[in-house]
Amino acid sequence: MDYAEHYQTVSTDLPGHSLSWLQALRTRANIDFSTSGFPSPREEEWRYTNITPIEKKRFTPKVSAGDPSAAAELIQHHRLDDTWSLVFVDGVYSAGHSRLTGLPESIQILPISEALERYPEKVHTMLQQAADCETHGFIAFNTAYFRDGAFIVIPDKQVPERPIQLLHVSTQAEGLSVLRHLISLGIHAQATVIETYVGEKETACLTAAVTEIDLAANAHLDHYKLQNESDRTFHFGGIYSDQKASARFRQNHAAFGGLMARTEIHSHLGQAAECDLDGLFLASGRRHLDTHTILRHHGAHAVSRESYRGIASERGRGVFSGRIVVDPQAQKTDAEMNNRNLLLSDDAEIDSKPQLEIHADDVKCAHGVTVGQLSAESIFYLQSRGIDEASARNMLTFAFANEMVEKIRHDGHRQQVRDALLANLPQTDVRGDWL
Amino acid sequence: MSATSETLENIIHKEYKPGFVTDLESDTFPPGLNEDVIRAISGKKNEPEFMLQWRLDAYRHWLTMTEPTWAYVNYESVNYQSISYYSAPKVKEGPKNLNEVDPKLLETYKKLGIPLYEQERLAGVAVDAVFDSVSVATTFKDKLASAGVIFCSMSEAIKEHPELVRQYLGTVVPTSDNFFAALNSAVFSDGSFVYIPKGVRCPMELSTYFRINAANTGQFERTLIIAEEGSHVSYLEGCTAPMRDENQLHAAVVELVALDHAEIKYSTVQNWYPGDEEGRGGIYNFVTKRGDCRGRQSKISWTQVETGSAITWKYPSCILRGEESVGEFYSVAVTNHCQQADTGTKMIHIGKNTRSTIISKGISAGRAQNTYRGQVKILKSAENARNYTQCDSLLIGDRCGAHTFPYIEVKQPSAQLEHEATTSKISEDQLFFCQQRGLSAEDAVSMIVNGFCKQVFKELPMEFAVEAQALLGISLEGSVG
Repeated sequence: MDYAEHYQTVSTDLPGHSLSWLQALRTRANIDFSTSGFPSPREEEWRYTNITPIEKKRFTPKVSAGDPSAAAELIQHHRLDDTWSLVFVDGVYSAGHSRLTGLPESIQILPISEALERYPEKVHTMLQQAADCETHGFIAFNTAYFRDGAFIVIPDKQVPERPIQLLHVSTQAEGLSVLRHLISLGIHAQATVIETYVGEKETACLTAAVTEIDLAANAHLDHYKLQNESDRTFHFGGIYSDQKASARFRQNHAAFGGLMARTEIHSHLGQAAECDLDGLFLASGRRHLDTHTILRHHGAHAVSRESYRGIASERGRGVFSGRIVVDPQAQKTDAEMNNRNLLLSDDAEIDSKPQLEIHADDVKCAHGVTVGQLSAESIFYLQSRGIDEASARNMLTFAFANEMVEKIRHDGHRQQVRDALLANLPQTDVRGDWL
Repeated sequence: MSATSETLENIIHKEYKPGFVTDLESDTFPPGLNEDVIRAISGKKNEPEFMLQWRLDAYRHWLTMTEPTWAYVNYESVNYQSISYYSAPKVKEGPKNLNEVDPKLLETYKKLGIPLYEQERLAGVAVDAVFDSVSVATTFKDKLASAGVIFCSMSEAIKEHPELVRQYLGTVVPTSDNFFAALNSAVFSDGSFVYIPKGVRCPMELSTYFRINAANTGQFERTLIIAEEGSHVSYLEGCTAPMRDENQLHAAVVELVALDHAEIKYSTVQNWYPGDEEGRGGIYNFVTKRGDCRGRQSKISWTQVETGSAITWKYPSCILRGEESVGEFYSVAVTNHCQQADTGTKMIHIGKNTRSTIISKGISAGRAQNTYRGQVKILKSAENARNYTQCDSLLIGDRCGAHTFPYIEVKQPSAQLEHEATTSKISEDQLFFCQQRGLSAEDAVSMIVNGFCKQVFKELPMEFAVEAQALLGISLEGSVG
């Protein structure tokens, strides 16, 4: 594969080159990636997402700091005021745009490039704990070439007073952003982390981000992700979490942008852990949006709830794949997965693959999937009240999606997700005053 | 464990009754597979040249294929050169009537309770019995012939009705469809052939009984059912095999063709030898079944009760091509001890207003793995297609597994799809309630399990439903917990 060679040549100056353990890790990952390449649809977990277009392109990472004002407007618009924020422009940390004022010393929020110099041992213990290079080529690719990312450590019993935002902006054409975020919460610690991905219009680039989350006993993380990159972007985002006993992980994912985007959310649930996953995607234009979840119930008494909604319009294609695995010792597991989809046009497509893999008997597991269109009765009802058909359709589509948006507990993020939803509704010109 | 777990244990451990061997002289090919073997099979059956060519093409394609590994089953792969591809009870010439059939063979069927003799007319079922690889007897032939129905063995059909065979064979499951279908196309030795002419409602249920007897043989039967415009047929299939320590291969292909307004109902009670408690022996059941609803308003309904086999790999499917055609799939799959089943269906919606229903009930006990794998595909042309899927799993014991892997692909916005799946065990409350009303724990479990499967059993023809319920009891014997 000549593209593997390409990435090897362009990935110079990666952080942590003086750390031998990291070099060894990267070399191994590089070998894995060179052997497997990017995942192919022949792999069962990728059967609905064919990423060969990525293989044909040659993305290159940002070489110099570039013009800081270029992304200023995007950053201004998406940076949430009430948060501590780390801003990454084209995959490189931008200290000038980030806001970390008032951060107490006990809490560590810094770019991983810096953490590798200041706390290399801590990074060593956290890296590659929840994500495994052997899962597929993207994770190996990320481990081999990550240039930056966030390093967040909340010690035992600490609750940061502000949420933490990781804002990613892509501006460079054919650019490559490879990010590795590490989040670790101590016993009884709590935090909110928001990942926002935006890009300049018409910028074709590749974002490959991997977030590893380690939640100690009774820790509680609220994690949000908004993927609203440009129409020509390829996006891979993997969120892998390891929940210890009674840890709680709540994730809300919203995807509207990109040309081809896949988000993986995998969690490993310890005893009595709780996991809530909610998500929404709206695949319009020629977009291909893929959400892939795996919840592995490893300890007994854990509870998981998954609720995903998808909308595919125009020539868009939406893919949902969710798997719940219950290990033999995970008795009293209570797991539910729900996936509802709206198919709005003749050329759109929805593929759903909800899976249960159960090895314990005293469990309650269920999943449900629906695929359908807007109900003709509802549209007629609204029309009978004097609302034109296009508005009625938009109103119903919005209502279907908004249930997922309402679950977001952070006001600023919720507003951004709602704005992105409204901007992507099929008939944008008829957004009425019904909000 | 509670008292009820012991009862379940008792229910699970029941012996495999049809596990005897009949000592028959048989004409068996030495193990191995090559073009000469295929020529020999074809020669044995006096097949026309086109069939031999068809087989050889399939064989050559099979050589280029690899055995599929995506199913959720684990087994030692089969050595295809150690199997004998043809075994037949020895007869000088084809039997003219039942009196000429080897009495030992009839004895076997009698033991299995199959009504071969016409005096058992009351049963009202026409049977085509396939012993090892060849069809030994078909009953009620005359009565069926008067209605215009052709019901005979596949080899007879190839000789007597080559034009029909040529027109339809391999059109639903092409020879290159998958590894096992290609193998079957190359070496199939017999099977049943059914042709229902235009407007005829088949006067009785048709039935085939499959029996693997000889050791080290594979059974490769091929069934083809053609229902012409406006016709109706109900077809039953049953299977057993002796208990042996080694695994035996069964790779069948079933093709159904339903033309305008025709209806085919295909029911299976599969009770191949499942192997012993430690998972030794048993049949590898790798079957390709597919129905093609070619005509408008045609209907194909699959009902299966899967209790046997060490490994089951089986996905009876419907291609809903005709407008307003209907596909149904009702399944109960029971796995116990070390059995593994990966079974489900495919519903491919092509025509407008097509509908499909999938009801799948999986019961897993002992150390068994039971997987539902189903695909519902709605193509762009399938306006207003409708699918409802329900798959429930019941776990008995804490060492078994139950898995659900559905695939849903929709390319048509007016389609409506629903999919639901649940997994649970028999609740203590339900058991307690039944016991408190005076039922023994064993009866309570059997009642609950039967209730769990009722939606499927009610789709089975009467006499089969009774058998299925009894089988369910046997398969789960000793598993109550």
